[in-house]
Amino acid sequence: MVSDLIMLSAHRLVKVYPKKSQPAINGLTLSITEGEVFGLLGPNGAGKTTAISIMTTLLKPTSGSLTVCGLDVLRYPAQVRGLIGFVPQEVALYQNLTLRENLRFFGRIYGLRGKELATRISEFIELVGLEESADSLVYTFSGGMKRRANLAAGILHKPKVLFLDEPTVGVDPQSRNLILERLTGFKEKITMVYTTHYMEEAESLCSYVAIMDAGQIIIEGAPAELIHRFPDCPDLEALFIKLTGKQLRD
Amino acid sequence: MVKFWTFVQKELILLYRDFSGLMVLFVMPLALVIVVTLVQENIFKSIGETKNRVLFVDQDGKSVGKWVEESLRKSGSIEIVKDLKGKPIDIETAKKAVLRGDFQTCIHIPPGLTDAFKKTVRQSVKNSLAPDAKKRGIQTEGDNDLPVIPVYFDPTLRGNYRAGMINGLEKVILGLEIKEKMGIFSELLPGKMEEMAKKVAGPMWSDDYKKGIPKMELGWDEKPLMAIKEKMTQNKGVIVLPNAIQQNVPAWTLFGMFFIVVPLGGSLIRERQDGMLARLLTMPTSYLTIISGKILAYVMICLVQVVLIFAVGKVLLPLLGTPGLALGSSPAALILVVLSSALAASGYGILLGTIARTYEQASMFGAVSVVIAAALGGVMVPVYMMPRIMQEISAFSPLAWGLNAFLDVLIRGGNIRSIISDAAFLMIFFVITVSVAWFYMVKRGRVGIQQR
Repeated sequence: MVSDLIMLSAHRLVKVYPKKSQPAINGLTLSITEGEVFGLLGPNGAGKTTAISIMTTLLKPTSGSLTVCGLDVLRYPAQVRGLIGFVPQEVALYQNLTLRENLRFFGRIYGLRGKELATRISEFIELVGLEESADSLVYTFSGGMKRRANLAAGILHKPKVLFLDEPTVGVDPQSRNLILERLTGFKEKITMVYTTHYMEEAESLCSYVAIMDAGQIIIEGAPAELIHRFPDCPDLEALFIKLTGKQLRD
Repeated sequence: MVKFWTFVQKELILLYRDFSGLMVLFVMPLALVIVVTLVQENIFKSIGETKNRVLFVDQDGKSVGKWVEESLRKSGSIEIVKDLKGKPIDIETAKKAVLRGDFQTCIHIPPGLTDAFKKTVRQSVKNSLAPDAKKRGIQTEGDNDLPVIPVYFDPTLRGNYRAGMINGLEKVILGLEIKEKMGIFSELLPGKMEEMAKKVAGPMWSDDYKKGIPKMELGWDEKPLMAIKEKMTQNKGVIVLPNAIQQNVPAWTLFGMFFIVVPLGGSLIRERQDGMLARLLTMPTSYLTIISGKILAYVMICLVQVVLIFAVGKVLLPLLGTPGLALGSSPAALILVVLSSALAASGYGILLGTIARTYEQASMFGAVSVVIAAALGGVMVPVYMMPRIMQEISAFSPLAWGLNAFLDVLIRGGNIRSIISDAAFLMIFFVITVSVAWFYMVKRGRVGIQQR
């Protein structure tokens, strides 16, 4: 059940990259409550990845404030890192390690040890359906298997807030279905910030979405509520096109 | 600490499974040490220990040719070859054999050389007994062209080899010259003395006085009256003669150690490109731990390289007929050299992996820069053999510092005190490279994230 506890709060975040005149994000303000699945949507170049990078302590904002689980991210990044999980766009796994070795490595970095680590590894290998390939080198995996393994590495330590940056991109339908099923299973247990280009995914998974463009949130709300606000849009995808335009973004 | 060791362990497993990385780090330097040492050991022997085969064509057949031949034989370092395929060799065939590289040197004694030489010597002695002849403008014999012994060399032969051979021949000729001069001097001096005595005595001269003029026998024992003894300047401790093993084993070990820049730099770039670095930096660990784990793992790899390559020098190469590697008298100094070199190599790898944008850039630039630094550092040709300008540039190569320190310990009998400055340079190089990498990474925004 979604509580009123604020797990992530961003206030007027601005990020200007060196040698760029336009800010990548410009006054981003949002608030995410416990157990919420927050969909951060937007076309290419909208600022989603920059926003996620700031929220996961990878980048420092030019201005603004940010807290995760009540901790100031800019002042206590090391403590925040112990509370969050990150599933990046890329398959960020060591290709020449087995899945089990990868998970053991990540688990140890998160402070898991001994029996607890071994149990957790088995649990999450099973969760992503890779029991038979657990001791194979990751480079031998198919694209879908790698994506599932990527997810397991991000949630192994059961984070308070999980950031997922397009976790299903380029995945076969079966793997995508499994990933979405598992994430649905975490709903209300783990707070999630989810970016995707697949609107139907966002519509089914996210309890709240914000559509960004040019570094700013242009609309936000529960998916059903947003669709309701625009009667001419039958779904989130139509709404997304209506708000961000049909021109190509490369 | 557990996190740090987790990173070290991960690096070691990844490297263990990287076949091309293992080839570069272990097989390449081992092969280089074995091949180059054996090749250079042979060159070393050709200069000092084994006999050089020299073609000798004597068209004169008199005393000069015999003297030269005998003297060269006596030297013990030259094998005189006068026949090819059972037939006496003529000068044209000999020159062709040298041009083909079948032989490196041909000494030619042309016809009439002995007569011309004796004539020149006789005139030279006569001139010395009549020192005012030239002053009075009297044309003296021996002012014409000197008799010549042509020596033909293989065009590919090194200058120092040619100089050594010419010096040796000049020594032989000088010996013959002295012998001939003294013989003629002995022959002419009594007559000269008689002539002078007659001049002084004038009408008082009697042939009985001739008996008082001593017969000259100006020959002497051919044993040298002063000896030269070859000695090496060394610190206290084990005396080690420099040879191809003592030079090549540490040199190519160092080369192999610095080649860790390719897999180390490559691993950093892959982590950045695959999003691994981004993921790691969102985890409860620091960049310092990530980098330190890599550095320790690769320093450990360097230690394994040193143990393996030194073991080859100590055990395998002697089985192939070379002397064994001597490890010097200061194990502590040796360990310090190895550690400081390994850190310098790791620092360079970190810098390369941070600055290069692609794996191809890192592997290409890393390999080429290490080869250049090795050439400058005296790995391929000793620094003292380089031109002055290159010797000055060499002072800036980390491989030169490392090699100099290695040679200090392994050959000059050095200790920690004698290698401390080179070790300090290597450590400073490590600190500078890692600091520049850190600065560059911070400037680029930790993980190189660009606006999307």
